[in-house]
Amino acid sequence: MRREQRNYLFLGVLAAGVIGVTAWNGSPVWYLNLILLCLFMGISYAIRSWHDRAFYLVCAGEPLIVACGAINLWAGVFVVWMVAGIVCNAMGMLEFSMGIKSFVLFCGVAAIVAILIRISNHVFLPLLILAAGTGAILAVQVVRDYQFRKQFGASP
Amino acid sequence: MRRCAQGLSLVIIVLVSCAYILDDMALLLAAGTLLAALLGQYLLFDYRFRGIVTSVAVERSLERSQVRKGTTLRVATTVTVTVPPPMHAQITEKLSPQVVVQDGDTTLLIEPDRNPRTYQFRYRITPVVHGKMRFSGITLSVQNAFFSHAIDLLADPFSGPDLLIQPLGLFEPSGKRSTTESREVEKLKVVSGFGIRALREYYAGDDLRRIDWKLSAKHNKLYVREYTGMISLPPLLIIDLPWRAAPCSDADLDRMASAVAGQAEHAIRSYQYVSLLIISGANILFFSGEEKDLQRCMSVLREWMHPVERVIHQYHSRDRADIREDVRHLETIIMQGGEPGSIAFSGTLRKQYLSMMMHMQTPAFTGQIARTLSSVAIDECYLFSLGCGDESHIRQIIRQAKIAKILVHIRLPGARAASVASADRIYRAADTVEAFA
Repeated sequence: MRREQRNYLFLGVLAAGVIGVTAWNGSPVWYLNLILLCLFMGISYAIRSWHDRAFYLVCAGEPLIVACGAINLWAGVFVVWMVAGIVCNAMGMLEFSMGIKSFVLFCGVAAIVAILIRISNHVFLPLLILAAGTGAILAVQVVRDYQFRKQFGASP
Repeated sequence: MRRCAQGLSLVIIVLVSCAYILDDMALLLAAGTLLAALLGQYLLFDYRFRGIVTSVAVERSLERSQVRKGTTLRVATTVTVTVPPPMHAQITEKLSPQVVVQDGDTTLLIEPDRNPRTYQFRYRITPVVHGKMRFSGITLSVQNAFFSHAIDLLADPFSGPDLLIQPLGLFEPSGKRSTTESREVEKLKVVSGFGIRALREYYAGDDLRRIDWKLSAKHNKLYVREYTGMISLPPLLIIDLPWRAAPCSDADLDRMASAVAGQAEHAIRSYQYVSLLIISGANILFFSGEEKDLQRCMSVLREWMHPVERVIHQYHSRDRADIREDVRHLETIIMQGGEPGSIAFSGTLRKQYLSMMMHMQTPAFTGQIARTLSSVAIDECYLFSLGCGDESHIRQIIRQAKIAKILVHIRLPGARAASVASADRIYRAADTVEAFA
């Protein structure tokens, strides 16, 4: 499947999902989701030829994630998956197996984050867990980087 | 971290702050997933970066493994690397401060490709500090849309070989020693001079008195001194007379005549004879080999020292060696890549030069000069010229003299000598370019 076709597929599923969730939920501000969806799709179309469009797609997708997440957390997760798919496709990651695996892994991590948020009553605890996880990953990376530099960068 | 990643980090901070203040789970979901995406990108970048680093293979070759300080040396470094898209890489040769890069490129931009690709640096260096120098390695910079990372690869597979820079400059005399009839030359002769022309490793049979003990102790290897040779040959005086139609100063011509006469008189008094070659452009007018009579020499100079008519003109024709040098330069440009227009232009120019070289014939003047130089026993020559009009014949004389290992000293009028740049193609191969008094 070509990159453009994949992009249309993700956009189509995203549009159907957002419209479906909005109609099913019957939110009083239903039009906000549709406006943000149109905005996202419009930006996606306008910057389709830009080299660094991934950043702008992420920025345009975040308000839609927040809006859908406010209605229903799992709807928010669904939008996260679709936006991530569109961004990964724009970056050419879905053209090789390593990129596809990374995308699937990210979807799993996003679901875990959603579960973590779901079982918490307030923001503080999941935020603390996320910060601790990030800190631990970065600390491990610093040690790995040091060892790597020692191996390849050490002068004889 | 590049600007994209910095922007995303800012978005995460804003979302986290808003989520914490408003205690909103949807904002936290957006922030958390974005943070996970950014971390994932970083881990993916790091994984690919490590893959690129482990794929690097460096092979470096030097023109020579031992050089004298100040000698220019050609270096070729071959780098094989795999840079998968969407990564971009740049490799920079890490050079010691002991050397100065003369020309060539020490930085390469690597285009992404899933298969290993081989690139080559070609450059020339001049060592300025003596001692042992090791090529320390390369600097690899890798970047994608979000992150960039650089590493100095200095381990064994990326460094070396060693270059031994001999400290000749410390022992070399400030000027060449010369007596009334003999002088030192940078050649091996039966009679040795006092100056050291080179230091080399000891071979069985070398005179033990010539071992340089200090240097041998320093490098734990026996080194012997090669002394300069002594020679007592008079120089050849080449007088390039101006064309009658060329605008030149009479005062300069008079100064040149007196300078030639002085040099000829000095040569006859010091060496008992002098050789004279009188030319005008690419026309050989008169040759006197080993003239011993000062009066006859002066009468020849009086007879010839005036502007003459030139039968053969070279019309500023270019030397074959210069064209070959231009072709090499164009090939380097084409190999290094760049804008398609520039490469196409260089390719067309290269073709033109090559076809020009195919149809180029060696001028008769070049052969005449080569035969003249081989017929006299000399090791240096003085070329007196007014430097006006066509000077292409001077380039040919210098080239033939250099082939015969003869030193060339150019003497020009003061203003012309001052305007000769070091990169001037005609005069740069000459040993000295000075004004005649």
